[in-house]
Amino acid sequence: MYDVIIIGSGMAGLTAAIYASRKRMKYELIAGEFGGQFMESGEVLNYPGIVKTTGVELSSVMQEQLDFNSVKPKLEWVSTVEKIGRDFIVKTDKEEYKTKTVIVATGARHRKLNVPGEERLAKKGVVYCSICDGPLFSGLDVAIVGGGNSALEAVDFMKDIANKIYLIVRGPEFTAHEYLIEKVNANPKVEVLFNADTKEVLGKKFVSGIKLEKHGMMRELAVGGVIVEIGLIPNTDFVKGLVSLDEHGHIDINCKTESNVPGIFAAGDCASGHEYQYVIAAGQGCMALIKAARYLANRD
Amino acid sequence: MNVKVYSTPTCPWCHKVKDFLKANKVEFTEVNVAEDSEGRTEMIEKSEQMGVPVVSVDDSVVIGYDEVKLKELLKL
Repeated sequence: MYDVIIIGSGMAGLTAAIYASRKRMKYELIAGEFGGQFMESGEVLNYPGIVKTTGVELSSVMQEQLDFNSVKPKLEWVSTVEKIGRDFIVKTDKEEYKTKTVIVATGARHRKLNVPGEERLAKKGVVYCSICDGPLFSGLDVAIVGGGNSALEAVDFMKDIANKIYLIVRGPEFTAHEYLIEKVNANPKVEVLFNADTKEVLGKKFVSGIKLEKHGMMRELAVGGVIVEIGLIPNTDFVKGLVSLDEHGHIDINCKTESNVPGIFAAGDCASGHEYQYVIAAGQGCMALIKAARYLANRD
Repeated sequence: MNVKVYSTPTCPWCHKVKDFLKANKVEFTEVNVAEDSEGRTEMIEKSEQMGVPVVSVDDSVVIGYDEVKLKELLKL
């Protein structure tokens, strides 16, 4: 019987695992793949104690820290978590783990536009990771869809790569950090279209344009790439029906990272904080582990 | 075996692919498709898509970081 099973290997899960190891708890860190969204972050300029880094650099430092604390993630996909009495069984594609507590730190994935053409042209001009695939659009006109931090970071990343950037925002204003908004406003390459709803991605073999509706009028823009940055969907399908989720599918937690089920905690982007920041994920991962340890000490 | 990696300097999964090949002592040619437009066209023709990384092993093509498929093709 384990003290705690930590599911997910992004910032929240790794932090929880480091604490679990240092507390000498009986634990496993389980994740389908290592590193969460580290691999999709460009520059990271707001992590306390680190002036400037990148997602990849941060990931390799975290790897070093895991080694230092003898944390060895198990690369398995979790399919279900079942409640048996006051304990739990975590089932993966390879094993079953009986545990007294569970920390869910499974993060979130990219939200899709769900418009015609998007799926057919995925990776053929429609991309969800600008730092990965953006450089392929060198010299082309591109459309970036979204008005939050990720979309504006994508604009900043693409400014020296693309020819012209259309920034397509569904709402009437940005929902991003001020410094990012200032950067976008100062960039002559960017044409911002507010209140613009993406209706279709156009193209035969590869993307050739995007169709929008703005104030009831249809408009087509000729672009060679469409970068979709419209937010995240929490990876919580496997605990649906077990714990209470909010209307967007995040696990409802209180300020102690407790879900509504005693013994199940959640941290990071899959939890109901709705602010996707490394430092929040780290803090919640730490909180979840300490609260899980306290729960164990009090339950017997 | 002729191994080519089509990548961009900023793409994290490209770094992972290259690290994997180096760790397994596989020799490969690198094509930076962010700058090399002929290389970019070649990659798009070979893989019929625009995402990186793409690894070609002789006539076979692996899209993305797919350790299982790479191991199989490279007989690791």
